[in-house]
Amino acid sequence: MKVELYNYIKAAQKMNRRQMLKGSAALGAVAMMPKSAMAQDSENIRAEILKIPGVGAGSPTDGDWQKVGEMCLGATKSNVAEGEFDGVELTFMGLNNQNLHNFLFRGFLKPWEAYTGAKINWIDLAQADYNARLQQSIATGTVDFDIIEMGAPFEGDVLGKGLASEMPDWVKEQIDMDDYVDYLKAPVGTWDGKTYRVSIDGDCHTFAYRKDYFGPDSITGREVPKTWKDVNDITKELIGKEDPLTGLPAHGYLDPLKGWGGFGFYFLENRAAAYAKHPDNPAWLFDPETMTPMVNNPAWVQAIQDVMDLIEAGAYPTDQINADPGTTAFQQFLAGTGSMLMWWGDVGSSARTSDTSVVGDVVGFGINPGADKVYNAKASAWEETYNEAPNMAYIGWGIYVMATVEGDEKKKKAAWSAAAHLGGKDLSLWASAYPSGFQPYRNSHFRFEEWEEAGYDRDYVEDYLGSNADSYNHKNAAIEPRIPGIFQYYSVAEDELAKGYAGQYGSAQETADAIAAAWEKITDQIGRDNQIAVYKASLGL
Amino acid sequence: MTSDGDLLHTVTAENISDSRKRLGKLLVWGTAALFLMLALLQALHEAGRVSAGFETWRPVLYAYMLWATSLCVAQVIVNGEKGKRTLFVLPAALFVISLVVFPLLFALYISFTDWNLASPTGPQPNGWDNMAQMWNDGFYWNALKNMVYYVLAVSVEYVIAFGLALLLNAQIRARKFFRVVFLLPLMLSPVAVSWMIGKSMLEVRFGPISRIIRELGGEPSFFSNPEIARFMIMAMDAWTFIPFMMIMLLAGLQALPKEVIEASKVDGATGWQSFKEVIFPLMLPVSVTAIVIRIIFKLKLADIIINVTSGGPGGATDSVTSFIFREYRDRSNVGYGTLLAIIYLVLIVIFVTALLKLVSRWMERPA
Repeated sequence: MKVELYNYIKAAQKMNRRQMLKGSAALGAVAMMPKSAMAQDSENIRAEILKIPGVGAGSPTDGDWQKVGEMCLGATKSNVAEGEFDGVELTFMGLNNQNLHNFLFRGFLKPWEAYTGAKINWIDLAQADYNARLQQSIATGTVDFDIIEMGAPFEGDVLGKGLASEMPDWVKEQIDMDDYVDYLKAPVGTWDGKTYRVSIDGDCHTFAYRKDYFGPDSITGREVPKTWKDVNDITKELIGKEDPLTGLPAHGYLDPLKGWGGFGFYFLENRAAAYAKHPDNPAWLFDPETMTPMVNNPAWVQAIQDVMDLIEAGAYPTDQINADPGTTAFQQFLAGTGSMLMWWGDVGSSARTSDTSVVGDVVGFGINPGADKVYNAKASAWEETYNEAPNMAYIGWGIYVMATVEGDEKKKKAAWSAAAHLGGKDLSLWASAYPSGFQPYRNSHFRFEEWEEAGYDRDYVEDYLGSNADSYNHKNAAIEPRIPGIFQYYSVAEDELAKGYAGQYGSAQETADAIAAAWEKITDQIGRDNQIAVYKASLGL
Repeated sequence: MTSDGDLLHTVTAENISDSRKRLGKLLVWGTAALFLMLALLQALHEAGRVSAGFETWRPVLYAYMLWATSLCVAQVIVNGEKGKRTLFVLPAALFVISLVVFPLLFALYISFTDWNLASPTGPQPNGWDNMAQMWNDGFYWNALKNMVYYVLAVSVEYVIAFGLALLLNAQIRARKFFRVVFLLPLMLSPVAVSWMIGKSMLEVRFGPISRIIRELGGEPSFFSNPEIARFMIMAMDAWTFIPFMMIMLLAGLQALPKEVIEASKVDGATGWQSFKEVIFPLMLPVSVTAIVIRIIFKLKLADIIINVTSGGPGGATDSVTSFIFREYRDRSNVGYGTLLAIIYLVLIVIFVTALLKLVSRWMERPA
């Protein structure tokens, strides 16, 4: 439905949304339409939702999310009758980062609740609390939610223990799973051949930079860096210069030096991937035969050393030691501090559409910088050749339905219908174009003309989406292992890195050795044989 | 019970039959046997020794509650009126055992296991491994060292609180207003303080305090240098809790006998002399109480640290509690985390007991 038309009807007839839905349902027009007309309708919806609220019209609000949710209800209506879930109550656990995630889901699902009659209760968690809450629920058998927003790294813990509900076939059809980018297809989202996950996000870290810092007449006078060495050199050269946009001190690359409940480790991984992810070897975190950590091999030590060099040079903004990844992206880069950043793709969509961003017009994107040498762990030797490896950090969020709904068919269908609504093809296009916490993950998200029509300029969108597509499709992508307790490894590494960055270890090697020692302990605690088996399976070995 | 002799405290003279006594004992021992049997069965089931058993420990809990109820009922059956008197205390005692003693013992057991929430095998006893790990854990010792600094800061807080209490005890204008205003920080949650001050006002780029410092030509940096970061944490914590000490000291000051102070003035004591020789010594008991309670609060310091620095930079602001929080929550390392907490509990008990002993000896010392 056209937004203007929708607004007009609402204003003129004082209809509420539910009444209007009833009216349109009563017409039954959708069901009667020939297929080509439906496809046409879907194209219209995609174009129309992208206009809410419109690029440059400020951050979307709850009203916008509800509007989008309502306009994307078509797929739900074809599988669920109005009021079919009357009396059903579901509990949804997810995040509340940056007032996104669950905040959007609430809006998206409000019209769904109105149509189906189901009621959703919410458990909101901060990113840093998320892992602990989930692990505790799993270990103590107290799963008190029916639907969860969860990342693929936890699939080993949740799906492996039979805690989730298998996806019914009608859901697969409703969400059009064939449209997913390749790396999100099985085995991601599946366990023992069964499908469990409705993807709502595709994750990789991409390189965001300030275009006004690069080029012949720019403050650096350099080209956009291709390697981490260049990144470091430029960052050092910028000391003492002035930011062309804000007039504050200019800075180069923004490493988050403070932990983020384990998520901060991805940012060292970005640097390390270039040195450590050899194209001939899928493993770069552990030796898959023994689970011996590779984190203290020369490649990782080089990455840690690179960060330490910048600390030593005083190249970071003040108090960087107290900056976590949330700070580097949202309080620094988007607000005009620093010129280079690695982050998930939502920095790209927020740069243009978030109220707090000042860099929308000067931001450019690329894939994770590479290195002029790569470490071959099998041969224990450096190879002097250019290497790059985008980091598929977290493999994206998905919606999973828990086994708590089994045994109650109505509740089960309701839970899956809600999950399918959130993972719908059209709705996900909107979520990848506006601030949502999610980035493009379907082949259909990469139709540049749709974005252009929404108000993005073609260059920007090709640049931004291109960086995502290039990362997803990269032959040497560094993919995260789906092993139990992966965040424990990351969290302990954050603590040791913090010590290293604060100068409490003698060298980068000592810091890396401390991480490796801590990882060995965790592996022993969780069970080495089991970890080896799961790690190998996740690498496809 | 006899009906002869001194019956002053006897409400009823009951003759409880042997069969009734037997019934009471049977009730207690019967339910106890049921509880122990179920517990044993479930333990063997969990250990994989027998196939029969329950999915959860809940039936064992119900058996325990049945036993506890029977124990209470049996008191009346066996002892009559005397048993009713026991009932005034017994449920409370059982309550304490269930909710304090048992969890403590359970925690003690957990602390000698390798329980990691991600481990598919659950908790497995691992002897003294956790203890050895703690012994070699630089983060834990570092946190303990920081606690010494944090506790020492109480002395400064005490001086400030005493000064404020003296001011508010004096005849100043708008005294009641100031009393309320000075109490406000105490009413705020430390989490709110850490966000409002640590994460907002002191935020390097946008925070108003940072901007003022920048305007004045300085370069704001509150949490990069270990010493400054630790000081900032101390300051935020002090800001929240100085009013607490202040209000205790103020109550003490107001309860001081006016005659003694007036007598000292009549004898020609100056303000400082009357403070040093009269007020301060008289305030010692209150001061000691305030300091001890404050130290106990301080030993639990965690929320501000977790929110503002996560223990950084490099562990400079870590408290034992904030470290255990990371170990337990971020790393799901329940066994080791519990051991650290138990050891910390033992250290606190020893420290506070020694402190109280020392203080009482010192206070009893003849002047």
